Amino acid sequence: MSDKVKTITEVVQSIPDGSHVALGGFAIARNSIVFAHEIIRQRKKNLTLSQGVMGLETDLLVGAGLVSKLIVGGGSLDRFGPVRCINRAREDRSLVSIDSSSLSLAFGYLAGALGISFISIKSLLASEMMSRLEDNAPDYLRRGTCPFTGEEFVFLRALNPDVSVVHVQVADRNGNGWINGPRWENEEQAKAGKRLIVVTEELVPTEFIQRSPERTVIPGHRVEAVVHQPFGGHPTGVFGCYDYDSEHLKVYTDHHKTPEGMSRYLDTYVYGTRDHWDYLEKIGGARRLNDIKAEAVYGY
Amino acid sequence: MSSGSTEARAADITSEPVTASEIMVTAASKEVNDGEVAVVGIGLPQVACVLARRTHAPGLSLLLEIGVANMEPVDTPVGLADSRIFYRGTCWSGFLDTLGMSLHRGIVDVGFIGALEVDRFGNVNTTLTKDPDGRVRYFNGSAGGNDVASLAKRVVVIVRHGKRKLPAAVAHLTSPGFVNGHSRQELSLRGGGPRRVITDMAVLGFDNPSRTASIVSIHPGIQVEQLLDNTGFPLHVPDPLPVTPGPTKEELRLLREEIDPGRVYLR
Repeated sequence: MSDKVKTITEVVQSIPDGSHVALGGFAIARNSIVFAHEIIRQRKKNLTLSQGVMGLETDLLVGAGLVSKLIVGGGSLDRFGPVRCINRAREDRSLVSIDSSSLSLAFGYLAGALGISFISIKSLLASEMMSRLEDNAPDYLRRGTCPFTGEEFVFLRALNPDVSVVHVQVADRNGNGWINGPRWENEEQAKAGKRLIVVTEELVPTEFIQRSPERTVIPGHRVEAVVHQPFGGHPTGVFGCYDYDSEHLKVYTDHHKTPEGMSRYLDTYVYGTRDHWDYLEKIGGARRLNDIKAEAVYGY
Repeated sequence: MSSGSTEARAADITSEPVTASEIMVTAASKEVNDGEVAVVGIGLPQVACVLARRTHAPGLSLLLEIGVANMEPVDTPVGLADSRIFYRGTCWSGFLDTLGMSLHRGIVDVGFIGALEVDRFGNVNTTLTKDPDGRVRYFNGSAGGNDVASLAKRVVVIVRHGKRKLPAAVAHLTSPGFVNGHSRQELSLRGGGPRRVITDMAVLGFDNPSRTASIVSIHPGIQVEQLLDNTGFPLHVPDPLPVTPGPTKEELRLLREEIDPGRVYLR
């Protein structure tokens, strides 16, 4: 099996401006912050991002001004508040937002992963999201009827992102990945991607994967590259590895309230750091990371 | 701790006045039956369903959209994606399992959703608000809310009462109820639509020919005028006007001592 381990710098260099990137985080859980930060450092532009429920990684990328389109089901930072950079961009119409629902995104990715061109769903009907998308995004959904029963459905076009990025707890050098805890739409999202990048907290020998292969959600043959970055999701939580960092999330939410504050945040924690290790030093280093390390029984 | 001191503490803990949140969750707990399947979010719906499981519905199955079944958190989560809420689940999966092969498949009996606004037809807005000067402010959007509202057999909306929270028409229709008074069949929706709106003043229902919100019961201590003044659409007042049953002593003890001892949700 081939060795696919690469640095985050190499991986991000291979992503052209204007790409559609699918992100695997959910609110403040298992976001690939190492990926988002490097996209910002390399100033990749004009991105389309898709995701079931947006969180910190997406707010960072929109706050850095790199996103022109969102295809999403919703988003928040849980009790840490709304995704303010994203909501500001929607309010001043500096990006296009194709808003539907969590299940609509999962179905769109599923169709993409299965290689079928559309999928029918019974969500969205009679909603304002439906009427807006019918008017503004006919390439995303249409109304249609079942050829067998005549029942009315929404037909969602398959989603095939240029690049899917999934942050996992455990992977080997070939990309066989385990996701511990719930996994929202990660599996179908990852498999819908034209390219798939796995970012892993732990890099293990294949022998370890072979002992419990039923845990492999992301099979290596679908994976283009593996990036190994412990604490790569900080300050979001990664189940079984570490808790979300409420202190740093508060630093973030103090800053993202205004464009000026967000700009200061990015200068300090992203542009002002060489790489993720440097960032981890800046947020408190080994002592802080030890504070948020997961407890063995609870996983947080 | 000896059983004697537990009883003493229990007596003490249930003697404090009942809060509006406690009446809300007790009313919400009555909306699920033993053996049913419910989709919940965190906060009051989760507390209500845990109360139901501890009282009349021990066989209630709970699903979270992220892919968790029957969680038994011991620490208070800050959100749906907080690992605290995964604890002691009996299944960890994803959207396709919970929202797809359960909810979309049609086997979810009750779905609980929150709202920025809910209108007289039970339509829910979780997307944006419009200020009187026309300024739009965006919020969290649908996430699983539209899926639950479209597909669950019964939908229960939990919201704090207020004129702007219960307007005649929502500023953005994120999740459909009985849109313009239409039946769910006319709207091509499979789910049964809104069953209850539970607020901190009253329980509202839709079981009438016009499919508009009407008073099911008013909470103890709330005046009719106060309820009408705080609602953005006319409400028919039944005569006699039922009063929402408050929690029993045992329900209060469970809520205060075991389910939310930190009073995170039941302030």
